[in-house]
Amino acid sequence: MSRDAPRPIGDTLLKVEDVSLGFGGVRALSGVSFDIRKGEIRAIIGPNGAGKSSMLNCINGFYQPSEGRITYKGKARGAMRPHEAARDGIARTFQNIALFRGMSTLDNIMTGRMLKMNRGFFWQCLHWGPAQSEEIEHREAVERVIDFLEIQAIRKVPVGRLPYGLQKRVELGRALAAEPELLLLDEPMAGMNLEEKEDMCRFILDVNEQFGTTIALIEHDMGVVMDISDRVVVLEYGRKIADGDPEAVKADPKVIDAYLGTGHG
Amino acid sequence: MDAIFDFLFGPLKEIWAYPTFFVEVVVGGLLTGVMYSLVALGFVLIFKASGVFNFAQGAMVLSAALSFVGFTELGVPQWLAMLLTLAMMVALAFVIERVVLRPLVNQAPIILFMATIGVTFFIDGFFQMLWGEDVKRLDIGIPKDPIEIHGVLVNTFDIVAAVVAGSLVATLAFFFQSTRIGRALRAVADDHQAAQSVGIPLQTIWVIVWSVAGIVALVAGIMWGSKLGVQFSLALVALKALPVLILGGFTSIPGAIIGGLIIGVGEKVAEVFWAEKIGGGIEDWFAYILALFFLMFRPQGLFGERIIERV
Repeated sequence: MSRDAPRPIGDTLLKVEDVSLGFGGVRALSGVSFDIRKGEIRAIIGPNGAGKSSMLNCINGFYQPSEGRITYKGKARGAMRPHEAARDGIARTFQNIALFRGMSTLDNIMTGRMLKMNRGFFWQCLHWGPAQSEEIEHREAVERVIDFLEIQAIRKVPVGRLPYGLQKRVELGRALAAEPELLLLDEPMAGMNLEEKEDMCRFILDVNEQFGTTIALIEHDMGVVMDISDRVVVLEYGRKIADGDPEAVKADPKVIDAYLGTGHG
Repeated sequence: MDAIFDFLFGPLKEIWAYPTFFVEVVVGGLLTGVMYSLVALGFVLIFKASGVFNFAQGAMVLSAALSFVGFTELGVPQWLAMLLTLAMMVALAFVIERVVLRPLVNQAPIILFMATIGVTFFIDGFFQMLWGEDVKRLDIGIPKDPIEIHGVLVNTFDIVAAVVAGSLVATLAFFFQSTRIGRALRAVADDHQAAQSVGIPLQTIWVIVWSVAGIVALVAGIMWGSKLGVQFSLALVALKALPVLILGGFTSIPGAIIGGLIIGVGEKVAEVFWAEKIGGGIEDWFAYILALFFLMFRPQGLFGERIIERV
C-alpha cells in the first residue's frame, strides 16, 4: 500500500503558528505550530483528547484560535467562518459522520457543489433557463464522484439507511464534490472493518494522486497512518511532541511514551 | 345499530337534500382553511430551514398585527405602516439570529425549541408593552358584505383573504422548493455543522428565513386581525396551525396548504352537519382529534419527509 513513485510536493499551503485554544479553563491546544505542503498527505496523530479534532476545527473555522496565526495560501487569516473556509477550498469530513440523513446519496453529494453554482439567485429560484443547464453540469460532476467512489448502487438511497462504512464514503464524496484544495479527514476509518479500511486507504491515495489534493487526516490506526502519510505531526495534551516523516516519528521516544506510557522496557 | 347508522349517515341525507348549502359550507371551510395555512406556513419555513419548531410564530403574528395597528393609530398611512412593520420584523429576525440562534449552533433541536418558547414570552411582553394591551380594531378597507356566486353565499372579505394568502403561499412554495435554495435549507435543517462545512452561510440563511416568517406573520396578523380584532388571543390562532402541520407534514409547504384546507373544511362540515348529533363546539376540537388520528397512522404527515431510524 505504501507509495513508490515520488509525487510533486509543493510549497507550504497552510501554516499553523503558535496556535492556542482554550475552552473556559481547559486548554485544548497550546502553542502548536506545523505546516502542510501542497500535494502531501499529512497525518495528525495523538492519544485521545490530544487536541487533534480541535486543530482541524481551527483550520476549518469552526473554532477561532485564542492565540497564534494560521496562514493559508500565503495569506494570514483573520477570524474566519466555516463557510468562508469552504469558499477558500477547504473541505472536510467529520469524526461522527455529519451527513444530511434525510437526503439521498446523490443529493448529499450535490450539496458539495453548492459553492460551484454561480448562476444568479433569480434563475435558481425559477429553476429554468441557465440554472437548468447548470444543474445538469453539476449533476455530471457528481456522477464522476460517484463512479470514483464506486457507490453507483446507492445513488438514490437515503443515507440514513446506509451502513456505517458507506456513510463515511458518501461523506468523503460530498467533500470531493467541492473539488477542494485542502481536504481535512477526521478519522476517516474509525469503526471500519479491514476490507472497508483498505478501500478507504485506496480512495485517499487515489484522490491525492489523481487530483493532487492536499490531505490532512486524523487517524488512530497506526499501520494506516504510517503507510499512507508523507509526514506526521504528533500531539499530546494540546502540545506538539513530534513532527516528521513516519519512520522518524515511529522511533521517537516521546511518541512511544505518549502511546505506551512511561516506564516501558 | 340504528343509532350508529343514524349518526354516520343521517347528516349525509341532509347534505344530499340541500347541495347548495353544503357547497356554501365547504367554500366557507376552504376560505378559513387558507387562513390556517397562512399561519402554518410560518412554522414550516423555519422548521425546514433550521429543524426548529418555532413556538414564537404565534407571538410574531400578534406582534406584527399590534405594530401595524399601532403605527396607523399614530397617524401613519397604512402603506407606510406596512413597510415600517415589515422593517421591524426583519430587524427582529436579525436580533433573534444574533442573540438566540448563533450561540446555540449545533445544539439539539429540543434546546432550540425551548429557546423559542423564551422568545415567545419576550415578544408577547415587549410588543404589548410597546403598543398597549387593549383590543384594537383593524380595518384595511376590505368590504365584508356577502355576495352571491351561482347561488352560493360567500363573504367578500374571506375571498380577498384567500386570494392574498393563496398568492403568498404560491410565491413562497415556488421560492423554497426550487433546487438550490431548497437543498440548502434542507441541509441546514439536517445538520448545522455539515451545512457550514460545504459552504452554506448558516447565519445568512437563518436571517432570511426568519425574515420571511416575519413577513408571513405580518400578512397573517393583518388578515386574522381584521377578522377577530387585534388582541392577545391572536397569538392563539397559532395553536390551530399545529394540527395543520401534523396533517400536512412539518417539512412541506404544499402540505401546509392541503392540511389547512382539509382542517378548514372538515371542522366546518362537522360543525354544521353533525352538531345536532353530538352537540355544538365541534369546530374547537375537531382539528386536534384529526391530528391525533394522523399521529397514530402517519406521523410524518401527508407530505412530510420519511422518518428514518437506523438502530
